[in-house]
Amino acid sequence: MNISSQQLDIWIKDQLFNAIPMGIAVIDKDYNLVMANGSFEKMFGAWKNRKCYSVYKSRDSVCPTCKGSISFEDGVPRVSQEVGFNKNGRMTRYIKHTIPVIQEDGSIPFLVEMTTDITEIEQVRREHQLLFDQVPCSISIIDRDMRIVKCNKRMQEIFGNLEGQLCYEAMNDRRDICVACPAKKTFEDGKMHSGHSIVTKKDGKTAHFLVRAVPLSFDGEYFDQVMEMSVDVTQTLKLEQELKIAHTFMEIMIDASMDGIIAVDQGRNVRIFNKAARTIFNVPENHRVTKSELNSMISEEFIEQVSSEMTHVSLPETTVQTLDGKPRPVRLIGTNLRVDNNYMGIAFSIQDLRELKQLEKEKLESERLAAVGQTVAGLAHGVKNLISGLEGGMYMLNSGMNKSNIERVQEGMEMLVRNIGRISLFVKEFLTFSKGRKIRVKKSQPEMVADDVVELYAENAKRVDIELTHTCDNAIASAPMDYEGMHECLTNLVGNAIDACRFSDKSSGCHVWVRTFEKDKAIVYEVEDDGCGMDYEVKKKVFTNFFTTKGLGGTGLGLLTTQKIVQEHGGTITMESEEGKGTIFRISLPRNRLPILIEDNEQDDNTP
Amino acid sequence: MSKKIVIIDDEPDICTYLTAALEDYGFNSQSVHDHQSFMPTIESVQPDLIILDIMMPGRSGISMYKELKNHKTYPSVAVIMMSGMSAENEFSPEGVRNLLHDASIPLPEGFLEKPIQIPELIQMINDILSKE
Repeated sequence: MNISSQQLDIWIKDQLFNAIPMGIAVIDKDYNLVMANGSFEKMFGAWKNRKCYSVYKSRDSVCPTCKGSISFEDGVPRVSQEVGFNKNGRMTRYIKHTIPVIQEDGSIPFLVEMTTDITEIEQVRREHQLLFDQVPCSISIIDRDMRIVKCNKRMQEIFGNLEGQLCYEAMNDRRDICVACPAKKTFEDGKMHSGHSIVTKKDGKTAHFLVRAVPLSFDGEYFDQVMEMSVDVTQTLKLEQELKIAHTFMEIMIDASMDGIIAVDQGRNVRIFNKAARTIFNVPENHRVTKSELNSMISEEFIEQVSSEMTHVSLPETTVQTLDGKPRPVRLIGTNLRVDNNYMGIAFSIQDLRELKQLEKEKLESERLAAVGQTVAGLAHGVKNLISGLEGGMYMLNSGMNKSNIERVQEGMEMLVRNIGRISLFVKEFLTFSKGRKIRVKKSQPEMVADDVVELYAENAKRVDIELTHTCDNAIASAPMDYEGMHECLTNLVGNAIDACRFSDKSSGCHVWVRTFEKDKAIVYEVEDDGCGMDYEVKKKVFTNFFTTKGLGGTGLGLLTTQKIVQEHGGTITMESEEGKGTIFRISLPRNRLPILIEDNEQDDNTP
Repeated sequence: MSKKIVIIDDEPDICTYLTAALEDYGFNSQSVHDHQSFMPTIESVQPDLIILDIMMPGRSGISMYKELKNHKTYPSVAVIMMSGMSAENEFSPEGVRNLLHDASIPLPEGFLEKPIQIPELIQMINDILSKE
């Protein structure tokens, strides 16, 4: 033996025992620790004069499952996995090799126990197992025969335990391997692959799974297994499908809508501009409408107004501009789009009123024609009164001449002249009415019309002792209206009111009150008198043509003309009257129905 | 003694015309232009027949007719209603019946459409008065 081997022997004897990275302890038959190395002391702390169960497990007595005592008996070495407590009192997992020391006589005085701490390894292993089982997707491990080697808990919950089965048989109900099997691809090229698989669950239901196959290799070496991770996307796919259908449906609806639909996002960029909107705004098919173009089409103020409102802003009648700068009468509704109170943009709904306007015009025209027809029928009635007057005159003239009654002749002549005058007045009014004068809209101050009319009648009223007044309480904004037309309306009403006062029983002190005011976004004219009032029969016929109670003093066209003009302004005329008490006529002109003030070329084109 | 007739029409020309014509045919006639003097005139004249226009300002002939028929003294006085309206325009027995709104009131004895034909009017007056 040379020196170095001697030295090695000494080192093994003196040093190795302590240097081994594994706890070594020697136990006698009474469970006393008789010897232990440094690694053991590092793990379990002080050991001298202590019992093994006390050191390993912090117990006061022998462990019920003591394996050492068995090895003392049978002399067989054992390996066991144990849980004990380390020197700091923490739970520790360790693998213990128990080796009996057998003497020549066969007796066993000691056991040598070698302990390896596996607490951390075990921890990691458990974590992995937990992850493997509880991760929210199905995981299986498949070998090159496509046999399922292992599956996690989640997979077992969905498919049952498939271990040992061929994956395509067990999951896909197939006899052959699936065409686009990602695991197969992974086995071929060693790379990760994804795919979509339709599978049958253990409850018999079909489901869509998104599958990803990963090679189960370490350090890129040859591998025999693939890990397949799959997620049930049935619900997602269904939602996606529903969303797609809803989206398509919405797109079709928007495109097919008769009304123009425009939507802008938070940055006011145009996102939707449907076919109807293109027609209304004269936008070519391939033209993309920009932000600034939209601002010139729909006024910027309106867009601002909508974005500051919580819900809708509606303009029943307004004008927008086409891309090439032409005015269009439309109904415009702006909706502030909010999702969970977050501003998403604005949607506009635009209804083209051109056709409606045309229809309205046609309706007015047909009403006018109907009125003309009625007029012709009524004409006979009007003419009858005139003929009566003429006949009377003729009779007086003839009989006066026969009787040489010069007074009667004179009277007859006067009657003839008077009635011929009435005929010309009648014909003039009749022509005005039947022609249907064109409405001339200009920005007017509503109360000015009433002022003018009252001034016109002031002298007249004073002469017959009627107090005629005009009041205008609140300031009224100017409005687009046919000044002359409205003047005619009020002239008729005030004239009627003065006549009603003259016909009344009161000898004097009658009143005519003219009032102009604005209420509920409508301009209102009231003409009230405390004159004779009307009885039932008269009230019923007030608005029919050629109805007059004034004998030859009226043509019966005044109120009818008034009604026509008011209707042309989109307004209404109503009347309350009580016999002997007085009458009140009320013209109401809602601002949103007033004629549009535009020098529209198209409008001119359509009017003869 | 000549029969007395009261003409009620707001139109003076018609009144003048009818008064003159009726006088020429031997009737004693008087006219009223307004509804205020209608009852006093009837009271003072005590007419055998009344010619009554329907459409008049302030008060219609229908309303005057009702007053007359409800009066204690004059319900039996014959009335000819006169109007510029034609049959299509409610000037018919049915139309007047509707306007009256009262089934207990008898219809007037005559209906006369304007323009007035004097011979026709005289015929109507004579027929009505001879029946009585």
